[in-house]
Amino acid sequence: MTRLDPPFGRRIDRSRPVAFTFEGQRYDGYEGDTIASALAASGQWMLSRSFKYHRPRGVFSMTGAEANTLVQVGSEPNLAADMTPLRNGMIVTAQNFKGSLARDRDAILDRLGRFMPVGFYYRTFMGPGRKAWLKWWEPLIRARAGLGLVDPAAVPEGFDKSHLHCDVLIVGGGPAGLSAAIKAAEAGADVILCDENPELGGRLTYLPEQGACLSERIETAHRLKSLRIMTGTVCNGWFEDNWLPLIQGKTMHRCRAGQVIIATGGIEQPAVFRGNDLPGIMTGGAVSRLVHHYGVRPGERAVILAGTPEAFDVADTLALAGTRIAGIVLPRALPGQESRIEQLRAAGCELIHGRIDVAQGRGHLREVCVGDRRIRCDLLAVSVGHAPAWQLPCQAGANLGYDDATGRFSLDMTRGDVQLAGSVAGKAGTSTVIADGERAAAVALRALGHHAPDITLPDDAGLLLAHCPLPLDPHPKGRDFVDFDEDLQVKDLINAVKEGYRELELVKRFSTVGMGPSQGRHSALATARIVAAATGRRVADTGVTTARPPVGPETLGVLAGHGHVDERRTALHVRHVAAGAEMRPVGAWRRPYLYGQGDRATLIAEEVRAVREGVGVLDVSTLGKLEVRGPDAGAFLDRLYTMAHAGQPVGKVRYCLMLNEMAAVIDDGVAFRMAEDQFYVTATTGAIARVYADMALWNAQWRMRVDVANLTSAFSGLNLTGPKARQVLQSLPSDIDFSTEGFRYLEGHTGQVAGVPVRAMRIGFTGELSFELHCPSSYALALWDALMRAGAPFDLRPYGLEASRVLRLEKGHILIGQDTDALTSPDELGFGWAVSKNKDFFIGKRALQMRRALGVARRLVGLTFAHGAEVPGECCLVLRGGKPGGHVTSVAFSPTLGRTIALAFVHADDAMEGSPVTIRARSGKEITATVAGHAFFDPKNQRQEI
Amino acid sequence: MSPAFPFQTGGAAAEFATLLGDHAGLCITDRTAWPRFGLKGPGSTGWLEGAGISLPGLNRVAAQADLLVLRLGDNDITVLGSSETLNGISSLRVRWEAAAGPKGYSSWREEAWAWLHLDGPELDQTLARCCAVDLRLGRFAADQIAQTRFAHVDAVVLRRDGGADILFDIAASSAVIKIIRESGGHP
Repeated sequence: MTRLDPPFGRRIDRSRPVAFTFEGQRYDGYEGDTIASALAASGQWMLSRSFKYHRPRGVFSMTGAEANTLVQVGSEPNLAADMTPLRNGMIVTAQNFKGSLARDRDAILDRLGRFMPVGFYYRTFMGPGRKAWLKWWEPLIRARAGLGLVDPAAVPEGFDKSHLHCDVLIVGGGPAGLSAAIKAAEAGADVILCDENPELGGRLTYLPEQGACLSERIETAHRLKSLRIMTGTVCNGWFEDNWLPLIQGKTMHRCRAGQVIIATGGIEQPAVFRGNDLPGIMTGGAVSRLVHHYGVRPGERAVILAGTPEAFDVADTLALAGTRIAGIVLPRALPGQESRIEQLRAAGCELIHGRIDVAQGRGHLREVCVGDRRIRCDLLAVSVGHAPAWQLPCQAGANLGYDDATGRFSLDMTRGDVQLAGSVAGKAGTSTVIADGERAAAVALRALGHHAPDITLPDDAGLLLAHCPLPLDPHPKGRDFVDFDEDLQVKDLINAVKEGYRELELVKRFSTVGMGPSQGRHSALATARIVAAATGRRVADTGVTTARPPVGPETLGVLAGHGHVDERRTALHVRHVAAGAEMRPVGAWRRPYLYGQGDRATLIAEEVRAVREGVGVLDVSTLGKLEVRGPDAGAFLDRLYTMAHAGQPVGKVRYCLMLNEMAAVIDDGVAFRMAEDQFYVTATTGAIARVYADMALWNAQWRMRVDVANLTSAFSGLNLTGPKARQVLQSLPSDIDFSTEGFRYLEGHTGQVAGVPVRAMRIGFTGELSFELHCPSSYALALWDALMRAGAPFDLRPYGLEASRVLRLEKGHILIGQDTDALTSPDELGFGWAVSKNKDFFIGKRALQMRRALGVARRLVGLTFAHGAEVPGECCLVLRGGKPGGHVTSVAFSPTLGRTIALAFVHADDAMEGSPVTIRARSGKEITATVAGHAFFDPKNQRQEI
Repeated sequence: MSPAFPFQTGGAAAEFATLLGDHAGLCITDRTAWPRFGLKGPGSTGWLEGAGISLPGLNRVAAQADLLVLRLGDNDITVLGSSETLNGISSLRVRWEAAAGPKGYSSWREEAWAWLHLDGPELDQTLARCCAVDLRLGRFAADQIAQTRFAHVDAVVLRRDGGADILFDIAASSAVIKIIRESGGHP
């Protein structure tokens, strides 16, 4: 154990030990530890193997900014070990190795790098031979692709979503964010302050001399009632209108803010040299975090790469932690830091001017080379500066600039409702950063209508030395990594440019730089410099790649949320369940598929037979139901549907066919003219939302004297069908005349049945005598019960969706969406009878005329099959001359006819009744079917019109 | 014959009636059976004003003699009653049915909507989980109407007397009450 005594380890609770396993071995830590800090405290620095070359990787930033620390915890892969809180009993495993983490057999790939240059996969997997990909490469890559193991049996638990609103959202609880939050909340604004860390303070949490100042500010923040503090919360993107997802554990809070202050600080950058990825090499910030947050001594013998003055704070920290400083490498002069340098020299530290050329070690850092000097060490702390955390600002529209002279990136935010504060805005000194937070708060407050005076910033003396852009020339032997996630070296990027990819976005796509979990945090800026140099341009000209949401990795569970099931029930749901229905989802609706238990085919055949020979009832409440009313209602329907409705007599029901502007059939139903100015229109279950939206849109555009109401849930519908349907209705008290003469086919009547107000229509989908009764949904139970009582002497039975599908197929009726596709025209369906020839206009008319001029290439026909022949499935191709000419849209066994029947699109020349067509069955076998007329059953419609 | 609504015996969501009531800081009351009367389309506003109903502005609600008048659109108004104002709504409907046009058309809100009233200390958290609109008191005015999505369905939301009224697709009653209970005040 390398635990340091207090005051080191401010985040851990030493009174609460935690036990866990990593790679099967038991480890101990404390509550407050992360997985990585607890492992580091036990000397386990290697956490993973790299993506491509399987190189050992470990802690680098302690900020979750790179893929080095990704581990699997139980069934959840790809958790950042340096950010994931330790829990008792955790079972942690490493990822991406074969054999063991320490002895990864795939590490051989590190020696085969020359055969895997950048972009090699674009060429390699094309051969040899045409089938090489599927036969050889795809299985090989599939077996190796991805990090971690997905557990298909894992049950997602605890994921949730919520919404937050505030006047000011401050992202980042460091010195700038904290001061901004206090300032805004004190002024009375409703403020949310979020930070991905478990405590506020940012870098102040590991600068001991700032401790008192930090405690005071945190206390103030917690006292402010209008300030909500959300630690452990990642802001993973900025979207329009200041909509930002805040991910806190397994909950995504969708936050809408009046003003956003981004105070996300800087991202400490790596140095690029051969071997820069070895465990034991980490940023200065990581060193400080390990020591001050977790009480972990990061090494026994350290070298510090001191590109910025922050390196001297790291040196102080290491000295306090008892780490021997073997050397401080100064890659450049640091004016103004002479006294600190002298102090270190006096303390016995060797100061070496130069740069680190190579780091070496097997599994962990053993030595670094500065020119000819070899310095033994087990820790290299890299302090070469920060780049502003540009992702959120750039998503919000900020421009990223670069100063070639100082090597500093800067952000320029132009939005009035997003402010940048602190290090992300280019400030360096602590007092300047704090003041800048207050300045940003003042700007936000003024935008919200509060009074807030201007704030003057103190001089930012440390700014000039805040970043140290080291040379990025490639090492002759490579392994100088720019992107740890993707194992990309300097030469890879230079080679990408040589391949002709001069633009940064193309380099990214060719090389995959910045496409790993870190999303370019450590690689994007170095890549920009390399590409700029390789193309003879300035970084300001190349820019950086687009930073899209999400800022960091997020789990699919968080995106999916609570997994609520959308469910709609008809008013008769309980009756169906009581009758033994098997309820199935149809869109969001739950509908009876069939009733009873036993052999399904037998049950469905019985339901079909009941309708054909007696009487059945189907709950059609899920049908779309619209009321179109107003003086122009008929004219309005004339424009929307293909048939004529303006002249439709009151009391008549007429088929409706709706086309889109391409003359493709998108819906059908019926329109019952209840009054001169009132139509009751049905639409299909699946299309009602679209139909209603279209009607509302056209009504707004055409400005006719019409109102459209969607009554889908307000009304329930029952289809009573079969030769005995009339007898059932006539046995009920009603003011409607249900006799043959009193209620003819395609008529509609309103009145009461068994005391229930109904809208009755003589229509049918089954081909039998049918009455469709619609009533206000609160009366549906009463109507159902009355019908079932009255129908008992006639053996009335409910039937389900599958029987309905068979009944309509026997009659040759189409289902929109099943027997049509996105291009189906009325002519292809043989629905020319449903298209008015006299109307000047209806939606799709012009396109229909143009399509008619082109001719009909396919037609929907009925098909029959020889007895005993193999039956095709729905979607099986209909072939003509060996090429696809159509497909089967519906197929079922007809209990009435005792044979299998189908609907299919066939080539127009094959549509004649009796024509043979060839279908490729799912077995691959080609079978022959015979074209039949549309209606397999009662083609003369004698049954439905009795 | 009395109408039957989803949370009543035999109703489509009857099995979830146990989720109604006061559980763990959230009280859900079913008001689906409470009277209401909605008109929509040309002539609606004129007839209602002629009937003595003062109409609020768009997306606003106004209290008037134990009734709440919701202005959902230029020509889309719903009047909400309570268990004590059944007669008031009924008489309004009778007058409308007897009137000559133009008088608008029924929007059938009494059949199309379920109506739940939520109240209790867990209310704000529940609303935040179910709805993207900032419905907190002080942020959402007492005379404001949110026509929005609530628990994944289209809904009309009001804040009254510290509580919230949710009017939504009656066919989604079972799903909505489950989601509300999962979001706050778990029994």
